[in-house]
This record gives sequence, structure tokens and C-alpha cells, in this order.
Amino acid sequence: MRFDDRLAALLFLALGATLIAATLNFPAFPGQKYGPALFPRILGAGLIVCALALFVRAQRAAASGAPLLRIDPALKDPRRIGGLLLVVGANVFYLLAAERLGFIPTAFLLLLALMAWFGVRPLTNLAVALVMTAAVHWFFGTLMRVPLPRGLFMQIVAGG
Amino acid sequence: MTAIIQAFGLVLDPYVLGVIFASAAFGLFVGAMPGLTATMATALLVPVTFFMAPVPALAAIVTATAMAIFAGDIPAAMLRMPGTPASAAYADESYEMAKKGQLELNLGVNLVYSALGGLFGVAVLILAAPALAELAINFSSFEYFWLACLGLMCAIMIGSNDPLKGFISLLLGLGVGCIGIDPAAGFPRFTFGNVDLMSGINFIPTMIGVFAVSELMRGAMAIDLHGLMVQDKVGALFRGLGQVSRRYWKNFLRGSMIGTLIGALPGAGADIAAWVSYAVSKRFSKEPEKFGTGHIEGVLDATSANNAAVGAAWIPALVFGIPGDSITAIVIGVLYMKGMNPGPTVFLQNPQFIYAVFIVFILANLLMLPLGYAAIRGARALLAVPKNVLIPTILMFCIVGSFAMTNSPYGIVLMLVFGVVGWLLEENGVPVAPLILGLVLGELLEQSFMTSMIKSDGSFLTFFARPIAGTLGVITLGVVAATAWGAWRRARAG
Repeated sequence: MRFDDRLAALLFLALGATLIAATLNFPAFPGQKYGPALFPRILGAGLIVCALALFVRAQRAAASGAPLLRIDPALKDPRRIGGLLLVVGANVFYLLAAERLGFIPTAFLLLLALMAWFGVRPLTNLAVALVMTAAVHWFFGTLMRVPLPRGLFMQIVAGG
Repeated sequence: MTAIIQAFGLVLDPYVLGVIFASAAFGLFVGAMPGLTATMATALLVPVTFFMAPVPALAAIVTATAMAIFAGDIPAAMLRMPGTPASAAYADESYEMAKKGQLELNLGVNLVYSALGGLFGVAVLILAAPALAELAINFSSFEYFWLACLGLMCAIMIGSNDPLKGFISLLLGLGVGCIGIDPAAGFPRFTFGNVDLMSGINFIPTMIGVFAVSELMRGAMAIDLHGLMVQDKVGALFRGLGQVSRRYWKNFLRGSMIGTLIGALPGAGADIAAWVSYAVSKRFSKEPEKFGTGHIEGVLDATSANNAAVGAAWIPALVFGIPGDSITAIVIGVLYMKGMNPGPTVFLQNPQFIYAVFIVFILANLLMLPLGYAAIRGARALLAVPKNVLIPTILMFCIVGSFAMTNSPYGIVLMLVFGVVGWLLEENGVPVAPLILGLVLGELLEQSFMTSMIKSDGSFLTFFARPIAGTLGVITLGVVAATAWGAWRRARAG
């Protein structure tokens, strides 16, 4: 997904302006000339200057009528865009489900779904998903003592 | 002297040796898988090393990265797909050699000269770092300010082919680094009252997002792309190596020196070292017409250079706390987590850790010979691991690893946001390495800038008053001017 550099430049310009605007209500400390607003303001100004330079450069180079947003042909292939969205969606799913379901079922379902989409054969898929879920849970949960979400699953299995 | 003995004791511990072997295997695997980079290997290792003592944690990173940079050469020669970007410069050349039936010679040279180049870089690290640290102990905020500026400028100038977009990426990184409690006055900035944001942008989930998740997104799109293996049996690796070594030993020295220099420069690492040394090799070769047709000369230069850069990148990281490349940017984060503030004082307070890093580096490069040999022998099985199993598995590791850094979903949110941002930036030709460097160096840069401003009462001339600060300042401004001039001229010509 490639934006025209002019569009990108406008985006960076807005970012720089927001950065400066957000510092306007920063407090000044009595007796101190340089407060917490100084550094972000310099950055914001730099971003604006760079964005303007990028805009001018793109404007000069642009052939008339070039599209403002060019979609990579690969992104029009539903299988590829699906894979891309699934990687992002898997994270969102984990964020939404892990606390409630618990780590083990969430991770297992996540692996199962991703591998199924990528065309792993069902039996291999099931085996890898099981082994990987167990391995990650053992390594991080047991060995490294990361408090992985217990959720409903552990409540049922371990009785609380 | 006692520190050195202590360091040997720390490294030769069975647990540490076990960690070294395990991370060597991990590094070889990640390096050999096209699409998985050495930086990604490091980012994935950090959640694991988080729970270790400083020495095994650093040993894991040192070993894994050294191995990964070598292992990237294997699929470059066999599949024409560089395992890591550091092997991209000579992937075509290596593949041409394989097509001519010189796969063994190519891999033999890659293995031996990766190890030798690595040792060269480490030797310079061992000699230069303590001496530089002695110099750096007298540095004030002015020197650190200019050093940070110079590092960031070098990263943009050498590290990307579009300095303007590199600069934008850097400013974005510095801006993101401002989130949280400000270092001068303790005022919470851009937190919107959110407790998680108050603690700042945790650096490791961000890295995992930018370097691993965005890579997985790209991988998920190109899941069915496979290289063609020219030859799957590997014969005697070291035949013909003696002859090549006699003929091209000067190339080894030159490649290693270029690699060390570029590695030690803040912001540029192994991949750029390989590109530059390959180009230099071609430029000064007696037979430049053979380059690109499967000629060993440039490969020898570049494979020495990229491994030399791995060790050399630790010089600015350890001495000044300024990363030499994206891997050492992660290392600096790890050092802070372990309570060892990188900078010259580390050499005084914890010299045994520094010596331990040196010893591990030497050990890793020596271990590269047998383990790398085994990896080449097993390359067929290694490269047969299907990507459609690998991508979901790595994603799982990313999620759990990011979660472990904050022990809350905040880590996963950060990882996901920066994964998508990193992917979008790269899609649009904006390099992501400056963003990460900006995030890492932001606090040092702002703190030294604010301290200097207060000390000098706002007079910018004072920034040049001390001899070393003045020199660094002039060099920085020179680099900025040269970059701007080059970009302007290119824009006019194009």
C-alpha cells in the first residue's frame, strides 16, 4: 500500500503540527528557562520542515495524474491480503480473548486458525498447534514465571 | 587482571555455556531462514534473556547474532535468497558460483572468513573500547549531545538511500521517545492520563513490532514464494580454500577493516558493511569483469566485512551508549534493564562483564566453525521447514514475549501498533532503523541537550567551547551539510 509522497508529506506535516500543539499547555517552571516543551517543539518544527521538503520534492517529480494511493497488486489477491489481515487480526483476537478464555485455548485456536489459512494439512496443524501451545506455556509460564492469563480454562481445569 | 579471571569464571559456567550453545543453534536457524533477520533474532531473544543474569543474557545475544550473520550466507548461495539482509550484497554472486558447481568453495569461504572477519572485529573491539572509554570518562553533556547527534546523522546518511525520509523516520522515533515522564523536569508528556503511557514507550515490544511483526506481515503476503535449490548435496567444503586464501588474503584484511569501521560508526551495521566492501572489492579488483558471474573475490571481502561489523558495532554501544546498529540498539536496552548503564563508567564499575562479552565474542566466532559446518551439512533439512508453520509460531512468540516485557496487554498493544506502523513506513520507502535509533537515543539526546542549554544559559556557541565537543559539533554539522547538499543535487538532477 503505497501512498503518494505528497500525501505522506501532508500526514507528517499534520503530525508535526499536532506535536507542537500538544506542548502548548505544558507548564513552565519558575526560574527555569527551558521546560519540557522545548525538545518536542524542536522535533515538531523539524518534522514540519522535512514534510514541506518532501512535498516540494514529490510535487516536482510527480507525473501529472499519478494516483494518490497505489495499491500493491499483491494486495488485491484475496489470499495474500487475507494472510496479512489475519496476522494483524490474530493479535487483536489474543488481546480480546486471552483474559477471558485463558492463554492455552486462545493460543491454541490462534495457531490452528493461522496455519489452516496458510494451508497446513489438518493433522500436522493440530499436532503443531498442540505442541507449540504446550511448549510456549511451559517455557514462559512455568520456567520464566510470566503471569500468562489463566482465564476460564484454568478455572475449569484447575478449579480456580 | 582479577577482572579478567573473574570474567573467565563467569563465562565458563556450565549454564552460560549451555546458553551459548542453545543461542548458537537459534542464531543459525533464524539466520538461515530467509525473511528472518539477525535483528529479529535479537528482538525475540530479549524476552527470554530478561530473566537471566547479565552475562548469560549478553552471551545469548552475542552468539546468536554472530551465527545469524554467517548463516544468512547459506540460503543466499543455495536459493539466491539471503537469509539476512547482511548477505544480500553477494547473494547473486554466491548463487552464480553454486550454479557453476562451486557451492562447496563458496560456503567454505563464507564459513571460514565469517569466523575470521568476526575475530578481526572483536580484536578491534577489545583494543579500542577500553582506550576510548578512558577518553570518554571526561565527556560532559556537550560531548554526549554532539555524539548522539553525530550517531543519528550517520545512521541517516549511510543507512538509507533516501536521507530525507530517514530524517523523518528519526524525528518520529524521537517524538515517540518523548512520551512519558520528561527527563529534565519530571512532567508527564503526551500520556493522556494513561498509566501505561506514563511509564513511556517500552522499547522491546516496539522493537518486536517493528522488526518482527512487520516482517511476519510481509511474510504472510508472500507465503508461497520459494527459491529454487540448485544442488542439495554438499561435498567437501574446504577443498580449494588454501589456494583462495593465498590469493586473496589482502581482500580479507581490507574487507575486515571496512566492516569494522562501518560497524563502529553509529547507525550502520553488517548489511551496509557488506554492500560497501563488495563495491570496494570490485572497484579495486584486477578482474572486475568477473564480478557477478560467480567470482569468489567479492564474496570473500563482503563475508569478512559483515561479521567484522557485528563485533565492531559494540564499540560505540559499550563506550558511549550509542548503538552501532539496530542489534546493539537492542543491546543497549538490555544493558539498561540489567542495571548496567552503558557508557565509560561500565568499564570501571563492571569490567568483568565487559571482559565476559569479549570472551563470549571470541568463543562464538571459534564455535562458528564446527557449528556452522554442521548447519551447512543440515542445510537441506533446515531450509525445508515450511514457512506456513513458522509464521504462526513466531507470531505466538512475539505476543508472549511482548506480554512478558510489561506483564500486561500493554506490551502486545505496543507491538501491534508499531508492527503496523513499521510495515506502512517500509511500504512507503521510509526506513525503520532511524525510528528505533531515535527511540533509543531520545532520552540521552534530550537530557544532554537540556543540561547543556541550562549550563550555557541558552548560548549555542558554548556547545562548541570544549575542544572535543567543538570537533564533534563541526563534524556533525559537516555531515548534515553534505547530506543536504547531496540530496538537493540529486533532487535537481532527478
